Amino acid sequence: MLALLVITSLAWTAFVRPEQERQTALAESGIEAAAALPQLQQDQPGKEGFAEGLMQFWAFTGFRNVTSGHLIMIVVGLIFIFLAIKYEYEPLLLVPIGTGILIGNIPFFTDGGMNLQVGIYQQGSVLNYLYFGVMKGVYPPLIFLGIGAMTDFSSLISNPRLLLLGAAAQVGIFATFIGALLLGFAPPEAGAIGIIGGADGPTAIFLSSRLANGINILPDGTTVKNLIGPIAIAAYSYMALVPVIQPPIMRLLTNKKERLIRMKPPRAVTKTEKMLFPIFGLLLTCFISPSALPLLGMLFFGNILKESGVTKRLAETARTSLIDIVTIMIGLTVGASTQADVFLTRESIMIFGLGAAAFAVATTMGVLFAKGMNIFLPEGDKINPLIGNSGVSAVPDSARVSEMEGLKADKTNHLLMHAMGPNVAGVIGSAIAAGILLSYLG
Amino acid sequence: MNWIYITESASALNSLTWTVVVVGIGIVFLSLLIVYWFFRYVLTFILNFRLKSFARKKGIDPAEVQTAKTIQSGEVNAAIAMALYSYFNELHDVESGVMTIKRISRHYSPWSSKLYNMKNL
Repeated sequence: MLALLVITSLAWTAFVRPEQERQTALAESGIEAAAALPQLQQDQPGKEGFAEGLMQFWAFTGFRNVTSGHLIMIVVGLIFIFLAIKYEYEPLLLVPIGTGILIGNIPFFTDGGMNLQVGIYQQGSVLNYLYFGVMKGVYPPLIFLGIGAMTDFSSLISNPRLLLLGAAAQVGIFATFIGALLLGFAPPEAGAIGIIGGADGPTAIFLSSRLANGINILPDGTTVKNLIGPIAIAAYSYMALVPVIQPPIMRLLTNKKERLIRMKPPRAVTKTEKMLFPIFGLLLTCFISPSALPLLGMLFFGNILKESGVTKRLAETARTSLIDIVTIMIGLTVGASTQADVFLTRESIMIFGLGAAAFAVATTMGVLFAKGMNIFLPEGDKINPLIGNSGVSAVPDSARVSEMEGLKADKTNHLLMHAMGPNVAGVIGSAIAAGILLSYLG
Repeated sequence: MNWIYITESASALNSLTWTVVVVGIGIVFLSLLIVYWFFRYVLTFILNFRLKSFARKKGIDPAEVQTAKTIQSGEVNAAIAMALYSYFNELHDVESGVMTIKRISRHYSPWSSKLYNMKNL
């Protein structure tokens, strides 16, 4: 009897209720079910019924609904996957994003506003639920937790003046903000675009989900554009292209003598210092810019888990399983959010242009600031300006670029450890900048 | 402050927009500068003070302790660690590495002798 009851209720939940809900939804949206969905005529036997069945099948296939936009985006997705596999450009990001672009651009039936609950922007679809983490800025703080749990701040603690390089590179954010305003973007959109200059994917997603989410209302009554997809794709694309974008600028702004500067090896850092850094870092930065709390709070929390020495299991989970899971989610959904009709716009092209400029300005400012600091530093204690580019927070790619460029000038001059200082400072700096933009424009 | 007050036109750059930029850059620098000052001066002072009071308790000259701390280098630690690793992980006898089978002078061996494999009826 009980089993019968269970089976009946399961059958009701699985088959009858969804159909009722679908009918109700269609009735509410004013769409005639018959008009929206080509129904198979059961009472027409023979060839006509069969042909209609085939037509209905055809109507639902991607081949019937495909547009040139879909095809362009599918090619873009394939290029992402190719770059990740062939050249290993940020494969952990580009493979999920590339696959996400393919998933997001599979054409499906949308005639008459029909909601098949398939697409990422369709209410009730699985992808839409996963996209919730992007829309509400849930994933970026979790990524920051993992980054905090895997980051060693030793190089920064041993040479804290490198923090200033991380600040200098953030000028790129504000320069891009001005550029975006000049191109006609609304201030919140411009703020979200500007953060691309921070070279930090999670921060870019976090800020764009708050400022350019397609939900907020502008004072003139129009809705702010949904730019999360283009901004995230631009940020991650340029992060992957850091080894291509930065070296020419670094070589252009430095001379041979500067590239050969040897920096003093970092001093040993005590456990107490490592423990105190995240605690005081959290308190000092978040008191100045509380809006950066979701990002900086999680970043320093992750680092406290790592450095406390008593929460090894939690730190291990945060820097391995947790960050991997969130990276999969964020990569896939951001990729899928580039649905052709939303992504292939004039704004996206402008965002990509602004993003490239943002990276160039950020790199330039970092290198120039390092050169500027050298004016005031005594001989033997100077900074190699090749680490200035690491002020952008593409960890650890930009630090790796510093190392490679340093080795090109002098095969025995390793800059990686020194470059990690401004690199992690850049993460903190871009999160603070995001907090400031959020407090003004949000 | 709300962004409404910043600019009425999306493309206009008025004084308040510049305020966002200047204040934004200023706060980023200020935040990281404060962290720098704290770790460069305040924390170093606290740690040195603790170190010296600890040394005094143990009857060691504080100046000596400080010197010992500053000469520590990551490179030295890395070299020591590498040496210990090599010592403990490569403890095995040295072999020639020549794989050739040596010929022995005594050619006779009973293992293939017909004599022991055939039934001697």
